Amino acid sequence: MALALRRPAHTALAAPSAVFFLVFFVAPALHLLLTSFWQMRSYKLAHDFTLENYIEVFTGYWDSILVTFGMAIVIALTTTAVAFFFAYSARFVVPRWGNLMLALVMFTLFGGYLTKIYAWKTILGPSGAINSALIATGAIEQPIDMFLYSPVAVVVALTHYLLPLSILPLYGSLRSIGDQSVEAACDLGARRWRSFFDIILPQCRTGLVVSFTLAFLFTVGDYVTPRLVGGPVTSMMGVFIQNQFGSRFNPPLGAAMSFSIIALSALVIGFAVLLLTRIARPR
Amino acid sequence: MKHPAGPVFGVLTLAVLVFIASPFVILTLFAFSEGSTLSFPITGLTLAWFDRLFEDREFWGAFSNSLVITGSVGVVSTVLGTMSAIALTRAGPRTGSALRGALMVPLMLPPLVLGIGLLTYFVTLGIKLDLITVILSHVVFTQPIVILIVYARLEKFDEAVIHSARDLGATPLQAFFQVTLPIIGPTVIGAALVAMALSVDDFIITFFTIGGGNTLPTFLWGMLRKGMNPSINAVALILMAVTVSVSVLSMRFIRYRN
Repeated sequence: MALALRRPAHTALAAPSAVFFLVFFVAPALHLLLTSFWQMRSYKLAHDFTLENYIEVFTGYWDSILVTFGMAIVIALTTTAVAFFFAYSARFVVPRWGNLMLALVMFTLFGGYLTKIYAWKTILGPSGAINSALIATGAIEQPIDMFLYSPVAVVVALTHYLLPLSILPLYGSLRSIGDQSVEAACDLGARRWRSFFDIILPQCRTGLVVSFTLAFLFTVGDYVTPRLVGGPVTSMMGVFIQNQFGSRFNPPLGAAMSFSIIALSALVIGFAVLLLTRIARPR
Repeated sequence: MKHPAGPVFGVLTLAVLVFIASPFVILTLFAFSEGSTLSFPITGLTLAWFDRLFEDREFWGAFSNSLVITGSVGVVSTVLGTMSAIALTRAGPRTGSALRGALMVPLMLPPLVLGIGLLTYFVTLGIKLDLITVILSHVVFTQPIVILIVYARLEKFDEAVIHSARDLGATPLQAFFQVTLPIIGPTVIGAALVAMALSVDDFIITFFTIGGGNTLPTFLWGMLRKGMNPSINAVALILMAVTVSVSVLSMRFIRYRN
């Protein structure tokens, strides 16, 4: 209403954006979907319809798919749990510091992806901050190699990156819960854990779903973190997808991998949302 | 409400804060640390790593590319996004929430998928990969953010002032530039800054759509692949400082009225 124009004029305002999304989002997405049914023949793209790429994804890469989804579930749960704890603490335990805590979190909300992962590489490495500090204090004599290049390093680095993105929606949900409703429950004789499960948790459902979904999807599609800190053990799908557009040069297979993990992610997230709705239901 | 679970909660909260802050502290320390091995104890402070970096031509190339891309992305996504946000206020409640849901899709999609999708698309169409393709690709995920932020502000906008302006004879454009824009201005600037922070920090989509040349994140990636070198900390710190200061600035603008 901000322009006080008639309706057709308003719709026209959205036209440039609409065209942009059709040309640079919808069309590339459909094109990628089509590509996933094509094939590479002697380094050339053959436009014949085949399901072979998908068959190869599920026969040749199922172990890596399992690793990827295992990592994604662990990281999504860890991130959501830590973020919820932090947001809960900022809202109910130390509300006086709540705004300051949130401000600190927001500083890096919109960036720092590569820098954060790199920082963890230097912290966890054999001559990194943790090891050299432990050696300097005499706690250990030889550096511990297993910090870096392990699935644990990927969990630590990605959880750290995703925390601000998860804290924000959760704190938003928690802030909209009035003190009165929690106090009323206590006055009516509810124990603390009871009011937590019956009042606080149900109101955070949206925040929890957003946090889990964001963290899950980001991990499933990530290739930088496994390559920088994961080492060869952490064979995640993102690395294979990226290879199909680099050294392996097989875009159709890479496209099929992408759509497979997105479809599987939708299933897992749908299931997680269902489960969460059951747990966080007011009794 | 007082929460009596005091000390345990306090210590754990502090631990999370330390976890969040430690990479930045470590990064800053090592960027100025004299030793070249990135390990404790730190023997002295130096600016040598920055000096060495500033002598590197490729760094300045990446820096100016980042500047051009981020600036263009900021302008394009803010102009288009603000126009769409205004149009969105006129949509019915159902269409409106469906459209806002659709806007979330480019944001939720893993950047890797967006990157390879745009790469194959550009290659098929025969479009040469350069800074323009990066700018177009960035606008795909920055524009929805601008629309959502500006829309949230417009929802709380008092329509009466527009009607008064129109009754007093202002044209729709006059009403927009003299009444609406001054009121929602801070939010629009904040949204532009968020778009720029996301653009300047993006590595994955840039990596696939830039062809040749570098931005700051792809330059950092190149250094990481060549092996450890203390100047990496200097680049990382500069990149971090840019994103954090743009983000902090954007928060100030967006909070201005909310």
